[in-house]
Formats: sequence, C-alpha cells, structure tokens
Amino acid sequence: MDQNNSLPPYAQGLASPQGAMTPGIPIFSPMMPYGTGLTPQPIQNTNSLSILEEQQRQQQQQQQQQQQQQQQQQQQQQQQAVAAAAVQQSTSQQATQGTSGQAPQLFHSQTLTTAPLPGTTPLYPSPMTPMTPITPATPASESSGIVPQLQNIVSTVNLGCKLDLKTIALRARNAEYNPKRFAAVIMRIREPRTTALIFSSGKMVCTGAKSEEQSRLAARKYARVVQKLGFPAKFLDFKIQNMVGSCDVKFPIRLEGLVLTHQQFSSYEPELFPGLIYRMIKPRIVLLIFVSGKVVLTGAKVRAEIYEAFENIYPILKGFRKTT
Amino acid sequence: MGAICTLLYVDLDVFSSTYMQIVKLLGLDVPSLCLAELVKTYCNSFKLFEASPSVPAKYVEDKEKMLSRTLQLVELASETWLVTGRHPLPVITAATFLAWQSLQPAYRLSCSLARFCKLANVDLPYPASSRLQELLAVLLRMAEHLAWLRVLRLDKRSVVKHIGDLLQHRHSLVRSAFRDGTGEVETLEKEPLGQGQGQGEGEVGNNSLGLLQGKRPASPALLLPPCMLKPPKRTCPTPPVSTVTGEEDISDSEIEQYLRTPQEVRDFQRAQAAKQAAPSVANPP
Repeated sequence: MDQNNSLPPYAQGLASPQGAMTPGIPIFSPMMPYGTGLTPQPIQNTNSLSILEEQQRQQQQQQQQQQQQQQQQQQQQQQQAVAAAAVQQSTSQQATQGTSGQAPQLFHSQTLTTAPLPGTTPLYPSPMTPMTPITPATPASESSGIVPQLQNIVSTVNLGCKLDLKTIALRARNAEYNPKRFAAVIMRIREPRTTALIFSSGKMVCTGAKSEEQSRLAARKYARVVQKLGFPAKFLDFKIQNMVGSCDVKFPIRLEGLVLTHQQFSSYEPELFPGLIYRMIKPRIVLLIFVSGKVVLTGAKVRAEIYEAFENIYPILKGFRKTT
Repeated sequence: MGAICTLLYVDLDVFSSTYMQIVKLLGLDVPSLCLAELVKTYCNSFKLFEASPSVPAKYVEDKEKMLSRTLQLVELASETWLVTGRHPLPVITAATFLAWQSLQPAYRLSCSLARFCKLANVDLPYPASSRLQELLAVLLRMAEHLAWLRVLRLDKRSVVKHIGDLLQHRHSLVRSAFRDGTGEVETLEKEPLGQGQGQGEGEVGNNSLGLLQGKRPASPALLLPPCMLKPPKRTCPTPPVSTVTGEEDISDSEIEQYLRTPQEVRDFQRAQAAKQAAPSVANPP
C-alpha cells in the first residue's frame, strides 16, 4: 500500500520511519548518519546548540545566579550581625572585616559576569562548513509567528498475541486483506480518521491521525475491535514513530541559492523532485522546501522537534526572500 | 539525468530513487545543476547548424548566436521564477525555440514548436509548450515598458520579432515591469478592496486625459512563481482544535459498528466461494 501516491518513490519513504512495518521498501529514512551535531546557522546565537539545549543552559545559569545571590545575602546578613555586635569595639577592626568579607563576593560576582553568553563560546568545535551568514543576526527570542500544523502521525503498538488475519478480514466490516499483495490486514475507522496495518504477529501500525492523542485513541479502538473479534489483545509499547507537519512561510524561496549556501544539508534536483530536501541535524528532521514557500517537516518523534526545526529554518528562508 | 536514463534503458523513477540513495549512503557531494552548461550541451544536440536535406536553408542558424540568445532567455526565465522547482529541459527547449525564431522571424514565425523539435531531431518535452507560453507572457509584460514597443500593441507572435531589444534591456525592464511580490503575498487579499476604491477615483480623474490614458504602461505585475499566482486548487481549512486526550472511554456500540453480523459473514463467505468458483465455469458460446 502506497500512503503517499503523489510523491515519487524515493520521497515516499520520508513518511515511513525506520523499523516501522510499512508496505514496500522505505527508500529514504529521515535518520542520517551525520555526527557533527549541527544546526543551520543564519543567526549568531546557537552555533552548535539547539534552542532546547540553549534554554536549558540559560535556566541552569539562572539557577546558579540565584543560588549565588542567596549566598551573598546570607553573607551580608552575617556581616551586619557581626558589625552590629562589634559596634562597641574599635572601628578599624570592623572595616577590615567588612573588606575581607567582601572579597569572596567580588570573586563570586566575577564568575557571574564572565559566564559565557550564547553563541560566543560554543561547547564543541564550530562546524567546518564554509557557509557565510546570509541574514543579519536575529535574537534567539524572536520567533517566526508561524506554527507548523501536524498532518500525520505514525505510531506502533503491540497487541501481544498472534492473530488470524483471515478471521479478522472475514468478521470485520472495515478490513481488507489480500495476502498476495501485502501480508497485513488494512483496517480503517472513521473517528479519528485513521488507517491501521495489523500483522499476524500482533504488531500494528496506525497512521493518519493529526495529533499524538488522536493516534493513541485510534490505536486503542483498533485494539478493541480485535478484542471483540475474539483475540486476547492487549495494548503494549505504544510509541509514536514519526510525525509530519507542514506550514507556509508565505513568500517564494530561491531554492538554487539555498542549495549553494547550505550544500552540506541540502539536496535539490529539479529533474527528480520540485522541492529542496533539507536534512537538519539538530534536531534530526527532514524538511521539504518548495518554491512557493510551503515547507513539510518530517522525521520527528515529538512535536517540539517539528517546532524547533521550523524556528531554525525560518531565518534561513527569510534570507532568500528578496534576491532580484 | 534524462540522457543517463535513456542510455541505461531505465525508468526515471527507478533511477531517481537509486541515485538519491547512493548519494545519501556514500555521503557524496554532487555539484548542483549548472544551467549554463546544460544549455550548451542541449543546444549542441540540435541539428540546425548545418544545411541538410531535411532542414530548409532559411532554418539553418549560427550556433554561437543561438547559444548566446538562448542563455539570455534562460537567465530571464530564471530571474522571473519560471525555472525554480521545474524540470530544466522544457524551459531550455522553449528558450531555444524562441531564440531561433527571433533571429530570423520573417521566415520562422510560421514554424511551430513541435515542428522545430522534429526538424532539429530533438524530443519535445511535454511541459515545453506551457513554458513557452509563460516566457512569452513575461516578454509581453516587458514590452509594455519599452517606449517604442508600447505603441505597437504586441501579441505572443509579434513580440518574437523584438526579443533582441527586450533582452538587451532586460535588467531594467524586469525591474520596471514587475514588482517584488515576496512581501506582498500576505496582503494580496486586501489589495482588491484598496484597488477597487483607488481605481474608481483614478478613473474619474483620468477621463480628462483622453488619448494619453491608453498609452500609459500597465502597473507592474507581481514577480512570483506561477504556482503562487494561480488560485489554489483546493482550500485546506484549518482543522478545529482537538480536545482528545487519548484515554477516553470507547463505547461498545462504536466498536460494534465495525463488526459484521453473522448473516453478513455468511453472505460474504458465500460471495467469496462464488467468486472462486466462477473462473472454473466454462463460458457459454
């Protein structure tokens, strides 16, 4: 069964996760063996860190700052108590204690000010790509204002028992089974509107849902159908395998320019496919970018990866907005 | 790639999937397509540069002149968003045809694209006709902004005679004939309202100008890829916000609607048996 009939064979595999039991041979896998841990870099902040990791670093720094501030306050309180107790003693002794007490604070405050700022001191070596930034630097907090919409969720679940596919195809209304063509029952339900592939091993693939929750609910309904047909079906190891999202940046994109400046990540073969295939490394997402400004993102295990990938690519695409 | 597929006798889909897999697995850094090189290679395959029994004398053309003009036309097509995301060969075929026609329009305007490809012993790619129409539309837009062509009221045939002039001034003509549409896509919906009001006021004011009104160039068209200028084929309404949690109770009645009744099961089995028995029954004479 072809789930994406409109795509050429090599691009159809983009929607099929590795390891998932889908019909045919997945031509492409969104997983790629790059190991440099790179994100696209039009903006100067996250040279080698993803936005999520950067946020975590900032949170850790803030926590450190808060702890050090608390320590400073405690020391100040102690010093005030000491000073109050020593008011009756000589004033010179109090001054030296105050000054000696302040030296550690300066040391601590110095470490605060010299904490590395985002983008200036990357944790691991800068990438070896020769690309130059096309767009001016944009702050990390400026977002595109566009939210990718989820279009398809692929999930798997183990029903935990062997299944007789002929019996399922005979007794279920919404099932089709053609063993000569494909070794699984294809079952469909109306709400959520999804399709399931049910294998004799008891493993099942659920596709077509628009959210993680809908995918889970649909998988449970399929499991219930199989239960009603007399099999001791369980609901084990439910897992989201792939998420596909799409959005529109609302301006045309010079794909020829993008493939030149981001050659390491891009593949643009207009003779084969009209879109540019951008393989982002961090997060590990594959993007299909079209001249109309429409972008398809796939290969995510969680929703946040889709959003992060789009926020990474948007400044790059804006750089190719006006080239005439 | 088309040439490789022809030489290997393979289908383009099979070739493309294998090629992309190999590039990915081996981590190959394949240089991106160079249009200029493709134009030179493709134009060299045209059998129009030497006189032969199948090619009339008036159709023979100088190779360098044709190549130079074709390159300029392809560059113009690329600048006006006709190349990005499309197969390059049909664009080059259309550009070569226009370049050939424009070099001696008096004798060649009557020759169609299909006949041109046949004479040149080159396959006619299917999209070449639409690329040709798009390129002619761009040239017509540019001609409206060239002073000595504005009065001629050109059409898609007559504009071919002036391709030389248009290419000579193409950079400035593209700037004046088209306005950058990249920032205006989002406001396209609001424009008709604003333009309707503006046009009404403009018409009242311009009625007194009389003859001059018809000679003014048209307002610059949006410079966008054709796919963005056409109305969308189908509207995709945004799905309503889902409140599904994934842990809702599933009613028995909802599941039972997907189960066959015993009667349906018997009917289905009977139909399957009949279907399997059908081929064994001899057809009546």
